[in-house]
Amino acid sequence: MTLRTAPIRRKLMKMLLLTSGMVLLFTCAALFTYEFVTFRQAVVRQLDTLGSAIASNSTAALAFDNPDDARSILAAFKADPHIVAAALYDESGAVFATYPEAVPSGFVPSAPSEIGHRFEQSHVIGFAPVMEGGQRLGTLFVRSDLTQIRQRFELYLAVMALVVALSAVIAYFLSDHQQAQISQPILELAETARAVSDRQDYGVRARPADTLELAVLTEAFNHMLTQIQASEQRSLAQMSRLSLLQQITSAIGERQDLPSIFQVVLRSVEDNLPIDFGCICLYSAATQALTVSTVGAASQSMSAGMGLVENAIVPVDHNGLSHCIRGQLVYEPDVREVPHPFPQRIAGAGLRSLVIAPLIVENNVFGALIAARREENSFSSGDCEFLRQLSQHVALASHQAQLHGALQNAYDDLRQSQQTVMQQERLRALGQMASGIAHDINNAISPISLYTESLLEREPDLSPRTRSSLTTIQRAIDDVAGTVARMREFYRQREPQLTLALVDINRIVEQVLELTHAKWYDLAQQQGIAIELRTEFAADLPRIMGAEGEIRDALTNLIFNAVDAMPNGGTLTVRTRVVRKGSEEQTVRIEVTDTGIGMDEETRRRCLEPFFTTKGERGTGLGLAMVYGMIQRHSAEFEIDSVVGQGTTMHIIFPAYTQAFLSTMRLPATQFSQRRLRMLLIDDDPLIIKALEDALSVDGHVITSASGGQAGIDAFTAAHGTDTAFAVVFTDLGMPRVDGRKVADSVKRLSPATPVILLTGWGQRMLAEDDIPPHVDRVLSKPPRLHEIRVALKELAL
Amino acid sequence: MEVLRRLTALVAMAMLLASSVCSAASEYEVKAVFLFNFSHFVEWPAAAFPGPDAPFVIGVFGHDPFGSGLDEAARGETINGRPLVVRRVSDVDGAAGCQILFMHRSEEARMREVLGALDHRSTLTVSDLADAGERGVMIALATENNRIRLRVNVDSARAARLTISSKLLRSAEIVAATADGG
Repeated sequence: MTLRTAPIRRKLMKMLLLTSGMVLLFTCAALFTYEFVTFRQAVVRQLDTLGSAIASNSTAALAFDNPDDARSILAAFKADPHIVAAALYDESGAVFATYPEAVPSGFVPSAPSEIGHRFEQSHVIGFAPVMEGGQRLGTLFVRSDLTQIRQRFELYLAVMALVVALSAVIAYFLSDHQQAQISQPILELAETARAVSDRQDYGVRARPADTLELAVLTEAFNHMLTQIQASEQRSLAQMSRLSLLQQITSAIGERQDLPSIFQVVLRSVEDNLPIDFGCICLYSAATQALTVSTVGAASQSMSAGMGLVENAIVPVDHNGLSHCIRGQLVYEPDVREVPHPFPQRIAGAGLRSLVIAPLIVENNVFGALIAARREENSFSSGDCEFLRQLSQHVALASHQAQLHGALQNAYDDLRQSQQTVMQQERLRALGQMASGIAHDINNAISPISLYTESLLEREPDLSPRTRSSLTTIQRAIDDVAGTVARMREFYRQREPQLTLALVDINRIVEQVLELTHAKWYDLAQQQGIAIELRTEFAADLPRIMGAEGEIRDALTNLIFNAVDAMPNGGTLTVRTRVVRKGSEEQTVRIEVTDTGIGMDEETRRRCLEPFFTTKGERGTGLGLAMVYGMIQRHSAEFEIDSVVGQGTTMHIIFPAYTQAFLSTMRLPATQFSQRRLRMLLIDDDPLIIKALEDALSVDGHVITSASGGQAGIDAFTAAHGTDTAFAVVFTDLGMPRVDGRKVADSVKRLSPATPVILLTGWGQRMLAEDDIPPHVDRVLSKPPRLHEIRVALKELAL
Repeated sequence: MEVLRRLTALVAMAMLLASSVCSAASEYEVKAVFLFNFSHFVEWPAAAFPGPDAPFVIGVFGHDPFGSGLDEAARGETINGRPLVVRRVSDVDGAAGCQILFMHRSEEARMREVLGALDHRSTLTVSDLADAGERGVMIALATENNRIRLRVNVDSARAARLTISSKLLRSAEIVAATADGG
């Protein structure tokens, strides 16, 4: 195990042992060195002592040249076994005597060298002077081996090893005991830490240690545990708030209306945060006041005491509420200390701490979440943060709810528009169909109209009865033409071209009653029911500006509806009145009243819609719609009074015109001078050609007819530049292959001055749409009226 | 080969001759050194000197075998702070002023007379007569096996109040005076 990862006790022991071992080693080394040095000195000293003794003794031998004596003196070295060789040199430096006598070669130098001692590899050698009475007599050489030093040191090493071993053992046991003082608290601390992490229990505390540093460590550890415990509690609280937030968010996500969102938010907060009082107010910037929108279910009794019931109004002044309205979260730890009225109101109910969180969408505060508790200082910063986030979520959810509502409305509008478009499409299809039908009808009635008019004008000897019949026919034809025109106009989206004239309402009503006689009298009698007609006409009814035919049609519809509303008979009342609103302003009212089944609210509301009908298969759903179209075109008003089971009264209210003026349309025919003109008449309908020929011939004009566009152009080209050139060209618009436009084109190319009059079943629409073809001088609609033709001829050709 | 052997023998003979000449020449040089060395191994009483500044006198009685050797050995030397002086003496009076008196063996005849004159005087008497010790001379330089051996008459020295170092005695032969000699 390496030192880094070894357990602390082993580490400590190693340290202690290492330390003591090092100390011991250094001590031994020091002792050893000391011993070495002193021992060497001792050896030298011993050698010196011995040497000087021998030298002193050998003076006489040297002085008196007695080598035997010298040898015997040197033999004294035998006493020291370490001295392996010795020699005496005489004054001249020659070897005088040696020890032992047969000295090994190399042990004795041939000549003495410097006085003193010198250590060689395994020996110490010394030279000492031999002196007597101040006279140098010679030199003593001694060689001693160092085995004694080696032996000594071997002993030393042995002792040292023993001591080291012994002290290591002692140090081991001591350190084992000592390290426990340090390692034990640390191990306990580690054990505590493991217990904490294993059990996730931050309530455990380490036992205080008695060493200062360890006590500090333990204290720090315990302090850390305390902090972890606190922060864990905070985390748990935060988690629970988060999950509450999540729960509330998902709950409000499922709701789309504000009251239910507010209710679920308040209930969740009351139950789970918890709070003692909670409500949500909506802010109105206009009134500078909060309106209590929702009060939490558990807060109801308390809110009644404070007067904070739903829809109660709380003014915003310079108190905490104004901060909230500026978008800040307001927290009052103790409302009793806040002198403003609102906090005092809260305090009055026994509440102490208060949080007001603004509901903000797109930087606009639209409300506030108010939460309160009975204890003061009871909202932590976490609670406040929670309420702030909650208010943000609530605001977002509210905003989404509003958006959802707007989206729903938009969707409804879209669906309405789609239905309208579909209806318009149906109308357009119907319009096209009606257009075609109108064209055909106009063509068909054109001869009738021309002949009737012609007969009434030209035959003065007609019996009164015939004249009356012809007049009725002419009126009926006019009405048919008008009806056809209006039918077409009805389907048009554009404001139709109205030709207004002064109209006598009383006369029209009489005409309508006459026209509808079959409906309310004959048909009713056939079905065995009796309908009583009452009329009340105002005597001096002012005339109005209007289109006679339209008004007639509208009245006809109203009378038909009234009769249909009385399947079991009843009274039909038609009344005209004049109502004076001011000195000048007058209105003319027509009232059609029945005593029939009446209309319920739904029917009354929808009766003007096109295609709405209560008559099942029999009804078109267009009757009242056409009436309403007429009303609008005349700037008139329409009122419906109806009681289910009692009957209905329809009011048409026209503005009256008090100043009478003449209609240019009503100029007498006799005013036209009768100039004869050569005319070209082009139409693919022989009946129309015949009728026009007859009618215009009577006026003295010369008529050439051509059936079809190409034939017409050919005839015009042929006659052009001759005596029989045409002064006027009448052409039908819709013809196979070559239509009226091409005819007009060709005519104008040849003779730009020749007027071209276009006759068309679509004439009215063409005028309205402003798309009169080029080169056409005048458009006349079918059936053509004689006086219209005359007016046109007078203006263009005469 | 013969020539080489003959040459080798010739060289060996020449060397032997040279060695004996050298030995004969150096006998008194050695004895001169010995005389000088005695001053280190013998203690003289203060009364042996006429004054504190008196020189240490080595006297040669009668025949002087040393030539200039002794003078050369003594030149510039001092003994215990006293300058060393070598004197040739020819009579008994002259001998009395010497601290060391050498008598050549040829002066055997006058030896008794000199010794008698020096009775109780602190003069170390030395002679190279072989039996000089027995005759009362304190140190005799005897030649044995080509070596000079010391023979010391301790009694004579003690009588003259001279203390001879034990070191000297250790390498010397102790003799006593014979009756006829005394």
